[in-house]
Amino acid sequence: MDIVVIMLTVIGLFSFFATTVGLLRFPDFYSRMHAAGKGDTLASLLMLLALALYNFHEVNLANLLVAIKILSIVVFIFMASPTATHAITDAAFESGVKPWTKEPEEES
Amino acid sequence: MPSIISDYNYWIYILLMMIGLYAMLAKNNLVKKVIGMSIFQTAIIIFYVSISAKEHATIPIIAHHGAAEAAIDVAHYANPLPHVLMLTAIVVSVGTLGVALALCLGIYRRYNSLEEDEIQEQLQ
Amino acid sequence: MIWQLDLSILTLIVICAFATIMVKDLLSAAIIFGAYSFLMCLLWTEMGAVDVAFTEASVGAGVSTVLFIAAVYQTTRKVGVRKSGRLLSKAVALVATLLTGLVLLIAEADFPDFANPFTPASLHLSPYYIMQTLHDTNVPNIVTSVLADYRGFDTMFETAVIFTAGLAVIAILRRFKKEDRCDLPEPYVISEAHPDTIIRFIARQLVPFIQLFALYVVAHGHHSPGGGFQGGVIFGASFILLAISYDFKMVLGIMSERWNILLGNIGVLIYAGIGFLCLLLGANFLDYSVLSKVLPATDKIMARSHGMLGIEIGVAIAVLAIVISIYFNIVSRGKYDKGL
Repeated sequence: MDIVVIMLTVIGLFSFFATTVGLLRFPDFYSRMHAAGKGDTLASLLMLLALALYNFHEVNLANLLVAIKILSIVVFIFMASPTATHAITDAAFESGVKPWTKEPEEES
Repeated sequence: MPSIISDYNYWIYILLMMIGLYAMLAKNNLVKKVIGMSIFQTAIIIFYVSISAKEHATIPIIAHHGAAEAAIDVAHYANPLPHVLMLTAIVVSVGTLGVALALCLGIYRRYNSLEEDEIQEQLQ
Repeated sequence: MIWQLDLSILTLIVICAFATIMVKDLLSAAIIFGAYSFLMCLLWTEMGAVDVAFTEASVGAGVSTVLFIAAVYQTTRKVGVRKSGRLLSKAVALVATLLTGLVLLIAEADFPDFANPFTPASLHLSPYYIMQTLHDTNVPNIVTSVLADYRGFDTMFETAVIFTAGLAVIAILRRFKKEDRCDLPEPYVISEAHPDTIIRFIARQLVPFIQLFALYVVAHGHHSPGGGFQGGVIFGASFILLAISYDFKMVLGIMSERWNILLGNIGVLIYAGIGFLCLLLGANFLDYSVLSKVLPATDKIMARSHGMLGIEIGVAIAVLAIVISIYFNIVSRGKYDKGL
């Protein structure tokens, strides 16, 4: 059980790291929002799953209750975070933020 | 814990308070002043909460799991008294924030600017 | 109490504080202030102050950010430059700040050690609260029992302060005439907000669960971090979510202004009313143990626990109404016709 928890935490940490790198390095607003929205939700899911599993050192009702509460937080994040990303991107599109296009290569 | 760490903590709280104070005095924009006031308030709150922290202590909720009158070790729980005072402080600070922003709106309605020097020019 | 975590979060907090006052755009300053509040909340959880962190997460990082954005939406977003006397004002402010900081640093040498269990603050009154709260009131959450029972007067006047803040915002901003001589210019919004299906659907699905969670926080405040304030703010925030995703008029149809102010009054009335009930039954003001004469089948200890629940409900109703009222007034600049 500990191995599973450590693996999930490490993968979640890597997802957060990838999100941050994408947030800093992508050239355009829309690609950055893409990285932030997907990476955030996935990484939160993995780390919260790891916490819910870590709880089960002994299986009794109190620990089950805590695990169910953590899982309901995961469901809430799954519903709310992509909606927030959609709202931000929609607002940017309505305000006229243009997507980045690659400059055409010049004929030398 | 070495004492330099304990001093360093207090220095950062004082630094935060001074950032808030500087923003309240030097900034031109009214909303920036309100943000400085909020930073000052949260810096004072963190100072009080740091007084109540104890090493190897847990949150101030007694875990009694059915044991009726088990001995309660005082050093095991964080000090709850500053928490109570700071709860009141946070709620009062959000009320103050609401009134401050309403005043900013009222000033903008009258003088059409949120900059301190432009408002003072119009007042003269 | 992990001091390495403490110091790293504190460094981030200082960076956020610098950033939020240096940035040249008010909307960015509001968002960075929201991040600053979240980091503070994380630090307080790590120090063991869970009730304070819960309140800051709901109030500071949630409602405060929304109020800032609503105020910026109604006024202007850019920060102007001071025209004359820039250097002098900055120099004077810097000198005053450095002097105050120096005085505080000199006083800091006498502060007690950080995270020491035997500091003077933890030695005189708080051991009594920690040891006696389960025996006196049967409530495990020591912060709730001190807030609602041992220091109930403070909380009553704090509720009154919240109510007064709501009244003050109404007094400053509310305008009843349709055409006004001194009126705010139209907000600078670039395009009309079109109804978005996804946001409306998700908001409509989430709001009942948010309100249910708010009621859970109020009712479970005796055994877990929570209580009246946090529950009331979360309930109010659900209405703000509806107002942002739908139209402002639609939320006015659900929670009209008259009901809003009435609920605020009812909240403070419940609190003071329970106090007066204790007075009428022959004990001191806000001494809940005498409520065992009125409530069926409770002894004096459980009566204190139930009295605490009663006043927490009063506080939650008052805070919910006032948070909604302050938001409505700021976002529609007092005219209640259209808003965010």
